[in-house]
Amino acid sequence: MVAVGLLIMLAGFLLSLLSLPLATAVGVRMALVLAGIAISLFGLIGVLNRAYLKNAIWKR
Amino acid sequence: MIRRLLPALLLAVSLWAQAPAQAPAAAPATPPAAAPVPITDTDIKNIDAPKPEVRAKGDPDGGLTGTVADVSVADSKKGLTIADVVNQIGQNKIAVNFVWTLITGFLVMFMQAGFAIVETGLCRAKNANHTMMMNFMVYGVGMLAYFLIGFAVQMGGVGAVANLGGTAPLSAEYTINLFGKPFGLFGQNGFFLMHHGTYDVGVMVVFLFQMVFMDTALTIVTGSAAERWKYAAFIVSSFFLGAIGYPLFANWAWGGGWLANLGANFGLGKGYCDFAGSGVVHAVGGLSALALAIIVGPRIGKYTREGKALAIPGHDITMVLLGCFILAFGWFGFNPGSTLGASGNGNLRIGSIAVNTMLAGMTGGFGAMFYMWLRYGKPDASMSGNGLLAGLVAITAPSGFVNPVGAAIIGLIAGVFVCISVEFVERVMKVDDPVGAISVHGANGLWGVISIGIFADGKSNYGGSWNGVNGSVTGLLYGDNGGQLVAQLIGVSTLIGFVFTLVFAVNLIIEAVVGQRVSAKSELEGLDLPEMGALGYPEFELKTTSH
Repeated sequence: MVAVGLLIMLAGFLLSLLSLPLATAVGVRMALVLAGIAISLFGLIGVLNRAYLKNAIWKR
Repeated sequence: MIRRLLPALLLAVSLWAQAPAQAPAAAPATPPAAAPVPITDTDIKNIDAPKPEVRAKGDPDGGLTGTVADVSVADSKKGLTIADVVNQIGQNKIAVNFVWTLITGFLVMFMQAGFAIVETGLCRAKNANHTMMMNFMVYGVGMLAYFLIGFAVQMGGVGAVANLGGTAPLSAEYTINLFGKPFGLFGQNGFFLMHHGTYDVGVMVVFLFQMVFMDTALTIVTGSAAERWKYAAFIVSSFFLGAIGYPLFANWAWGGGWLANLGANFGLGKGYCDFAGSGVVHAVGGLSALALAIIVGPRIGKYTREGKALAIPGHDITMVLLGCFILAFGWFGFNPGSTLGASGNGNLRIGSIAVNTMLAGMTGGFGAMFYMWLRYGKPDASMSGNGLLAGLVAITAPSGFVNPVGAAIIGLIAGVFVCISVEFVERVMKVDDPVGAISVHGANGLWGVISIGIFADGKSNYGGSWNGVNGSVTGLLYGDNGGQLVAQLIGVSTLIGFVFTLVFAVNLIIEAVVGQRVSAKSELEGLDLPEMGALGYPEFELKTTSH
């Protein structure tokens, strides 16, 4: 799950990057970049960190 | 009575004496415009220097020091020429900028001391030596990595830095073609400060200033992983961050890389803007701190079996607040110094930048203090300190582009935001950050980057353009169409989605090879003896706790 979390985070960054060629309107670019940030945050908080919490030291 | 009246009497007499001069005179006839007279070498030669016998009497008011006699002459047979005078003017400008950049760099270097005592004070006494040593040695480890590799990666292709007289040897940026535009990825000149003519006076100034910035990012990480980070892993991890992790993003933002050129290539405002490094320094440091804190895991005793967070107080709040003051002092180097000069190219904004810095720190401290006071009934000291730092972190990127009111608002938001972020990281993410580095530097570094796209007032003018795009950096509130905010958000996305991922992946490798966390026995005992071989406070009896 750690690798999956990292890949999702990277995918969020790539979506933001793709906003550059995919759109010229500022509003569309902003929507794509915000979506990219949201995906990265999901990968970080919802997947990567959750994977570590499963085996957290205080649960042992 | 006479004493009180005497000054008033003297003032009245002096006004009376000046009155005829101040009386409105008849409008003089406009004289015909005289044609400018070119200055010749002969005119220059006729300027008299103070005579030696006059000079020998001393110069108490300074009127005889720094005259034509002090202008360097290229050819003594020819004597003083206009070329000599013009060259002297140019050298004086660069000298002012060198001195400014170096001294502000020295201030930033001193911030290492502030970080060291803030972090050590927020940790327990049984880890004082270990925490202090990490903060002490990160300076050397980072500098070595940067000297060998990092500086070239970051600045090797930045091109000429006009304020510092050129730095022409830094001219090789590795660029790929993406979406039909050039994307600068990393610099290639400047390894060991000797490679490709980089043994250069201007390059040395750039190196010193950028090196202390990089070290600031590295020392942020030692706080979040404190009290359980294996010292050997710290060395390896810090070396990577100083050699590759930090310089890569810094190249994209400051070294002529693709983020800086989002304006020129894609019409997004002035490209990604980060005046002094909320993103480059603090968000990179703060997100790396988050990566390490997740990998090493929480300290023993931080959470109950049910996952409830427990407070583990630091051992010396006086160290913490003194460290915050030292950091606030050093920030006057961080932000105003980022002009890389005091003379020319709009650099007189250094006063405005310094004022913005102090205002945001103040409102940040207030924001955190009142938040804690209202929420928990007491004005928490360590969070007030973190609020001050959060305000300073947030204003770092926009300090050169916003007005004082904007700076105060940015700092105030940062002060509240740091408290909310600390609660979120600790209670929702259950990530243990003993010093609040993730929230102070990571969360508020990102806020600082975003705030430019909102609060930049379009009044700054650093030579007429920024990142190669004419005009001033302008945010949404001052008439921008949102393009600047998009550029800033792409920077934020890069920091979270790429920089964090890279740092995390590399530290997973370090975890597999070296191991990141000390043993439970060492942690309970305190890291001073097992890791460093000596206690921080050998003559004190430390309180025994279950964690």
